[in-house]
Amino acid sequence: MSVKAFELVPAVEREQVMGEKVRINIECIECCGQHLFLGTNDCFIHHFILEEHMTAKGKLAYKAQKLLHKYLGLKKPVAELKAASALERLIVLCDSTITVVDMVTLELVPFGGIKLKGVTAFCINENPVTGDAFCVEMAVVLARRRAVQICTVHEDRVDMLKEVTTPEQPCALSLDGYNICLALSTQYMILNYSTGASQDLFPYDCEERKPIVKRIGREEFLLAGPGGLGMFANAEGISQRAPVSWSESVIAAAVCFPYVVALDESFVTVHSMLDQQLKQTLSFRDGHLLQDFEGKVVLASSKAVYILVPLPLERQIQDLLASHRVEEALTLTEAAQRNIPKEKYQILHKRILQQAGFIQFGQLQFLEAKEHFRKGQLDVRELISLYPLLLPASSSFTRCHPPLHEFADLNHLTQGDQEKVQRFKCFLISYLHEVRSSDSANGFREDVDTALLKLYAETGHESLLDLLASDNACLLADSAPWLEKHHKYYALGLLYHYNGQDSAALQMWVKIVNGDLQDSTRPDLFEYVVDFLSFCSNLDLVWRHADWALQKDQKIGVQIFTKRPISEEKMGQLNPNDVIAYLEKHSQALLLYLEHLVLEKKLQKEKYHTHLAVLYTDKVLGLISRPSANEEQLSAARQKLQRLLKESNLCRVQLLLGKIQDSELLLLERATLHGKLEEHDKALHILVHQLKDSPAAEEYCSWASASQDRSYRQKLFHQLLSVYLDPDLPGGAQTIAAVDLLNRHAEDFDAVHVLKLLPEEWSLPLLRPFLCGALRASVHARCTSQVAVGLARAQNLQLQHDRLKYRGGPILVSEKKGCQLCHNTFSEPDCACLPGGTPVHIHCVAKKALDLPKRQHENAHRSNHT
Amino acid sequence: MPQASRTKKPDVKVVILGDMNVGKTSLLHRYTERKFKDTISTVGGAFFLKQWGPYNISIWDTAGREQFHGLGSMYCRGAAAVILTYDVTNWQSLAELENRFLSLTDTANTDCIFAIVGNKADLTDTLAHGPDTESERGDEAQPEVPCPTPPGTPLQHKQVSREDAVALYARVLRYKGLEEKACLPAETVCFETSAKTGYNVDVLFETLFDLVLPSILKKRSEGESSTVDLETPMEVKRTKAGCCA
Ligand SMILES: Nc1nc2c(ncn2[C@@H]2O[C@H](COP(=O)(O)OP(=O)(O)O)[C@@H](O)[C@H]2O)c(=O)[nH]1
Ligand SMILES: [Mg+2]
Repeated sequence: MSVKAFELVPAVEREQVMGEKVRINIECIECCGQHLFLGTNDCFIHHFILEEHMTAKGKLAYKAQKLLHKYLGLKKPVAELKAASALERLIVLCDSTITVVDMVTLELVPFGGIKLKGVTAFCINENPVTGDAFCVEMAVVLARRRAVQICTVHEDRVDMLKEVTTPEQPCALSLDGYNICLALSTQYMILNYSTGASQDLFPYDCEERKPIVKRIGREEFLLAGPGGLGMFANAEGISQRAPVSWSESVIAAAVCFPYVVALDESFVTVHSMLDQQLKQTLSFRDGHLLQDFEGKVVLASSKAVYILVPLPLERQIQDLLASHRVEEALTLTEAAQRNIPKEKYQILHKRILQQAGFIQFGQLQFLEAKEHFRKGQLDVRELISLYPLLLPASSSFTRCHPPLHEFADLNHLTQGDQEKVQRFKCFLISYLHEVRSSDSANGFREDVDTALLKLYAETGHESLLDLLASDNACLLADSAPWLEKHHKYYALGLLYHYNGQDSAALQMWVKIVNGDLQDSTRPDLFEYVVDFLSFCSNLDLVWRHADWALQKDQKIGVQIFTKRPISEEKMGQLNPNDVIAYLEKHSQALLLYLEHLVLEKKLQKEKYHTHLAVLYTDKVLGLISRPSANEEQLSAARQKLQRLLKESNLCRVQLLLGKIQDSELLLLERATLHGKLEEHDKALHILVHQLKDSPAAEEYCSWASASQDRSYRQKLFHQLLSVYLDPDLPGGAQTIAAVDLLNRHAEDFDAVHVLKLLPEEWSLPLLRPFLCGALRASVHARCTSQVAVGLARAQNLQLQHDRLKYRGGPILVSEKKGCQLCHNTFSEPDCACLPGGTPVHIHCVAKKALDLPKRQHENAHRSNHT
Repeated sequence: MPQASRTKKPDVKVVILGDMNVGKTSLLHRYTERKFKDTISTVGGAFFLKQWGPYNISIWDTAGREQFHGLGSMYCRGAAAVILTYDVTNWQSLAELENRFLSLTDTANTDCIFAIVGNKADLTDTLAHGPDTESERGDEAQPEVPCPTPPGTPLQHKQVSREDAVALYARVLRYKGLEEKACLPAETVCFETSAKTGYNVDVLFETLFDLVLPSILKKRSEGESSTVDLETPMEVKRTKAGCCA
């Protein structure tokens, strides 16, 4: 399929040229502005005005109005006409001679300078180098001359600037700046007439085929090549565009960007310079001339003149798109950039990109489509709207008009092919995902997010949860039924939660946990709900669901209360008393909660501590009384109790003592409780005599004195020692335990005191570690204090030294010098110095120091009087 | 493969020469479109713009037909690299390179790089059946034209050996009046390829692109100023991975 790039519009009818005369042919054309000049084989020049107008159908049409015709009087065909509009002259080639006529009157203008006879071809420089607006540069080829003449045409004369010789006879030429592009008899070449540099282009037999040399732009030429090729060459002799392929019989070529138009015996062909493709073929018989004048392509048979009117670019692009030629359409669009105002171009370009994207989308070329959508800044809703039901019902979107594509919707596109449907959906998912992460969703985030949610739900995509858990704009009203339809109940809960409807969310989840709804998204949903409740600031909701959670599992359920984060604000804070009261009927949970308060959060409240201790105690007592309970359970329970008793200073001791008083087993606990009451004798008694556990007794001493000073500790250890040594007790004194105690805790005893206590008959080696320890400790203490004394002294000396240094130079004391205070002489070197270094007797200073307060007092008085 | 923007100017030119039917168009097509399909006889010439890192490289496919022979010199004018292509199953195609095509390269740059490429290696070498893995990129989803030789189809006789190509390379250098030692070694620039299977095709083009980079830099610096810039090293080493993939 091809594009319609041009339309052939008649301009000058045959009657207007020849009237009744049949044998008259058009030989050449010149067109500038509205003026159209024709040269005929009977040596006439015709001057028309071409008027453009729109037909009722909105098409461009031309009406030619003849102004004048003029016979040149040579009986030869007019071979070439070129306008020099600034000079109001027409340059005419007729009978191998160049003449100049007035553009308006068509009268011959006599001109001076050189005569140009025997001319076979000439051309005008469209890119002149002189910079003189009132002269035209021209290159002329003379018969049988291997040369090109460069001339300038002025109003009244023609000057020759230069003659450039060529290797062969030139037959056709074109000029751009200093570059002459020449068809010689066997080849094309480019000559720079300023530098003289020349460049062969390629061989071409001009005798056999008529050459074409056409300047198409700055320093670029189009040439007829072998095999009917249209070759491009620049001034350096390099081809920067691939050739276009004409027929071998090509007669003429013209350029109307981005097209190359060529004429042969029966067709006009249109190629794009952008991709070298043939775009359009127009049938045209008897074609004779084809030329472009300032963008206007004029075509003539020997009898009539036509204009090739380019169709609006937009139309051409749309035609290309209609035949799915995306690349070509884009190429053409981008080439149009230089002909269209910037804003207009941007709008056009975007639209074409979007259309191109949709074409590729329809062909499942998603990568390309995505790229074009992105570049074309597609309103993403255009795409979403193709998928039934994805846009929210509330969306105000309507597709753009004229439409960007021809698809009704996805069903239309896929014709029910499910595999395709899936592929389209996958594409939309990935596209929307990208749109979300860029900022091109601006303004329609609701539409995007809701559509994405629906797609995720429908396809069971794992990102559904991520979407709901993150910042999103999914519309609840639209999404909720959809999620329900696809059994995404957990997700629905998340959506409710995101929309501040926690109650609805919990309802959903509870139903799933209870098995009333089936959704296996989260196997750990119960834990999740509990966690959710623990963070839930709506206390009403928490209380409403706590029962359910605790009934399901107390251990996990209690986390509603224990995992609750502590925050400064009052809102969402639970009063522990309320919780405890509430948990009364869930004993396991209550215990866990109290543990949480006391052991983890370390709340210093007697009530909680006692409550926990009581619960522990009850548990232990319960286990004791239950025969089925095993050792491990019991010891674990006791350990907990013991730890609490030891660590807590808040439990109500008497109460607890009362509870365990009767138990034969809980001696250690009892001792601890006594310890709490500082009833160490009772405690030690229990430990030593009832429990007979001397390590426990020692540990007790350490524990009970842990936060006390050394003497308290010593006292306690001495107490234990006395208990051991008490001969009045049943079983007598516990010598071994006493020795061990001494040896192990030497530092906790006052050795002197201990030695007094010990029975005479004990052997020393028995107490060797104790004595060594004691001795070493005492020696150590002595040494340490000596060091301390030494250091203090050194410091003192240092200070004195500093002081002396501060005071300054030597003090001279001699037998002849007297003390300032008593005026007696010095008899000994010892002296004291007054401020300023005056030596005085030490005893005088001492005396003075004693007097000083009095004197000062007097001084103060005196100064008051002055 | 991302095509260079439609309107960019090329920085450097690579030209593929060789007799008709040796597979020039197919090679370019394989490289740019990543597939092998039936080609129609190239009319005149065509080119493709390849973006290579920050540069645009134009690759010209020429017509091998005698009729268009005269255009060769023009295509080669200013070329930084010329790929002389023959068909490994056709001795004449190698001979033609020397007889007809070598003289066309007179218009190429003086530092033009020459590559000698024997195409259709799939017909004579089992090795060339799989596409060379290192150059095959995973961007081709559609099924390949089935390329393994069907059982029973014997490999054709290889008329041109690698040694012949290496020898031609030496003669090319001599023709150019170049010292063999000062030029790229034959191992670097003699390839055997298959446009049909893709064997060695990416390697061929990408090796050449890397080799012409200094030429681009030179062209740029000449274009920018006439001052000699001692700082810009001419032997800029580029790794393949660093270029657009
Ligand atoms: N077996 C095989 N055939 C090839 C290969 N390359 C090209 N051909 C075929 O050779 C013929 C000519 O290829 P073409 O690319 O048009 O050659 P050109 O004239 O040098 O451009 C076509 O029929 C291709 O299918 C190849 O690597 N292996
Ligand atoms: Mg080809």
